[in-house]
Amino acid sequence: MNIRILKDRTARGIMLVLTLLSIVMVAAIAIGLYLKSKPVLESESLWTLLFSSEWKPLKGRFGFLPFLMGTVWVTLLSITIALPISLLTAVFLTEYARPIIKKFVFPVLDILAALPSVIYGVWGVLVIVPWISKSVAPHFVDFSTGYTVLAAGIVLSVMVVPLLVSLFIEVFSSVPVELREASLSLGATRWQTALRVVMRKSLAGILASSVLAVSRAMGETIAVLMVCGCVVGMPHGLLDACYPIPALIANNYGEMLSIPLYESALMFAALMLFAVVLIFNLVSRVVLYRIEKQNE
Amino acid sequence: MWLSMAIVVVLVVSVVWTVFSKGAKAMSWEMVSKLPGGGFYIGKEGGFLNAIVGSLMIVGASTVLGLLVSIPVVLFLNVYLHKESRLAYVVRLAFDVLFGVPSIVYGAFGFTLMIWFGLRTSLLGGIIVITLLIIPIFVRTMDEASRNFPRGILDACLSLGATRWETLKVVVRQIAPGIATATLLSVGRAIGDAASVMFTAGYTDSIPTSLSQPAATLPLAVFFQLSSPIPEVVDRAYAAALVLTIIVLLISIAGRFITSHFSRHKV
Amino acid sequence: MIETKKLNVYMGENHILKDIDLQFPERQITCIIGPSGCGKSTLLRTLNRLIDSTEGVRLEGQVLVDGTDIISSGAEITELRRRIGLVSQRPCPLPMSIFDNVAYGCRINRMFKKRRELVYHVRQSLRAVGIMDEIKGRMRSPAARLSIGQQQRLCLARSLAVQPDYILADEATSALDPISSKKVEDLFVSLKDKYSIIMVTHTLRQALRIADNVVFMYLGEIIETGPAAEVFNNPQNELTQKYLSGAFS
Repeated sequence: MNIRILKDRTARGIMLVLTLLSIVMVAAIAIGLYLKSKPVLESESLWTLLFSSEWKPLKGRFGFLPFLMGTVWVTLLSITIALPISLLTAVFLTEYARPIIKKFVFPVLDILAALPSVIYGVWGVLVIVPWISKSVAPHFVDFSTGYTVLAAGIVLSVMVVPLLVSLFIEVFSSVPVELREASLSLGATRWQTALRVVMRKSLAGILASSVLAVSRAMGETIAVLMVCGCVVGMPHGLLDACYPIPALIANNYGEMLSIPLYESALMFAALMLFAVVLIFNLVSRVVLYRIEKQNE
Repeated sequence: MWLSMAIVVVLVVSVVWTVFSKGAKAMSWEMVSKLPGGGFYIGKEGGFLNAIVGSLMIVGASTVLGLLVSIPVVLFLNVYLHKESRLAYVVRLAFDVLFGVPSIVYGAFGFTLMIWFGLRTSLLGGIIVITLLIIPIFVRTMDEASRNFPRGILDACLSLGATRWETLKVVVRQIAPGIATATLLSVGRAIGDAASVMFTAGYTDSIPTSLSQPAATLPLAVFFQLSSPIPEVVDRAYAAALVLTIIVLLISIAGRFITSHFSRHKV
Repeated sequence: MIETKKLNVYMGENHILKDIDLQFPERQITCIIGPSGCGKSTLLRTLNRLIDSTEGVRLEGQVLVDGTDIISSGAEITELRRRIGLVSQRPCPLPMSIFDNVAYGCRINRMFKKRRELVYHVRQSLRAVGIMDEIKGRMRSPAARLSIGQQQRLCLARSLAVQPDYILADEATSALDPISSKKVEDLFVSLKDKYSIIMVTHTLRQALRIADNVVFMYLGEIIETGPAAEVFNNPQNELTQKYLSGAFS
């Protein structure tokens, strides 16, 4: 056989192995986390782990409910804030904006997306937390440190806006121009076109993108950790402190290795996070791929 | 609509302004040129050179490693596999999932791996985890760039008698701007990620001299020192935040520049 | 000589080419004509096995290049492709300079040891397509900056540089303006005493002007084939008559 063809075959083999490793990687993370969280799964039932609010690591009691609720609160709040802002921004950028505005806004979004989460954390601590503590909270409660669900939600929403906007823009621009022109030529205004034609056509894409953003928000660690208050307990309102799962892992891992069951419990927390993110990502990506294919 | 846009712009300005105003006050030559004196959490002296060097070491090494793994993968997906290939679909999906995995999970997973191999928190651990973290970013960005790759070029090379391996040189030339943007994007992400290096690289006052020593990183320098009760230490956090932000902004600007100026031979 | 014997091509469920039996005479221009979607391009891509890079393709039968079946012998495909040049519908300059475009094939096939020989050969190839004068002094500038007609001739030069025996052209002039189109067309005519040329064309007039032989295809089958004069002046098959008279296209 020719040496050139031999080279080609070898390269192909190496590349195939590297490519397959990516799939193995997903499995490896899942299996690794599962093996590590096995001890705690054996000592408590899944039901107690998920729905008990008793968190006493030293006694071997691990109820994740407070942390789950913390995660849910913060994530939902951030999406509620971010969704309308990003939706409108994306509509504006794709349907209305003149090129000069786009030229200005895209770099701004780029910056927003590029800033590390610890920077958002600093911003949250310096701006949002004092603002809540001094201006917002006094209207509702006697005293708040400002380290609350609300603070975490706001910071997080700022972080997912660029992601959402870029996903939405992609979805919107896959709507064919002819469709818009058809609507406009029937006498619809641009806003009516955007609302009834573009958004409607992209409904699946909007949903999928939002799910993707939810999964991103859920895993965000440092920024949330810095502003959420980190108090173990069920949050009852926006002005309560909370303790989402990623913050829990970050704060306690490393230090708690001396208590094996605790480590296992934290691994279980990571596994939950991974599982949710995996499912959300798979579903939304498959939907987004379908959309892309339809419009090819 | 204008309002939502305005909100976005105001937010960016607010974040950047906060970091810059606080950081500028705390900034001095000493900050970036000296190691912290008397412990990073309580010592009042010195700067955060340890974190700058540590971050550069980790990011540099993992960028190289990441490129070594991800370029072959992208080329394989786009040149060796058919467009409609089942395998390519699954692999792309896998990378999308890996891309979405939170960095804290990478951190936790990386830490288990390290224990498995008998490693302690170290420079090496940080490099491994950051490499794992950025490979999906590399692959996705470069894949995006290669998907618009004109098939005709491939056909042209093949019809001249090239093997697929030999066509790769041409492909790489064509997607060079994509590779460059991907690299910048990954560097930006790698340098700012704190959660994954928290347990794997650790934190220390000194500059690591071997792969097995722990290493400090910029985001953790911000995170740890911000919560200190001593104002001088908090200032160090602000200054570190400023340095981090400037690096990331520069990368973002460079990325824009490259995509528009890096394509001399592109067809 | 290239010939096909009982060639069948399937794409998934679809039967794209049905029992193709053809002989392409040497040092002549054979034009493949027929309405779009009839399998002309697929046939062309099968002759140099570029069809391999399409998903879900199955080949049956034989394609003989100088007596060797290229469908059963998988290994020497690169050498085979070197011997069969391809000019595609849209010009496809490689992302490099004009010089490197032409030199690319010579380099990968390791045709020359000395750089001087390579330079000489590249110039020869460019001269052969009559583009040398137009690009003098611009050998190092990106190929993508040439006009589209020049790009197409560059691509032809690139194919000629690896010294093929056959040239396949897939509607090579359809993307060009009339003047460039004429130039490329004339080029093919002037090349036919050295190479065997097989071209797919959409324009009957072009086939009429340059073809020595004509193959008329319809829905994946060969309807009629023969010397150009016979097929055009005295078509035997009813379908061919209709097509030539413009009843469908």
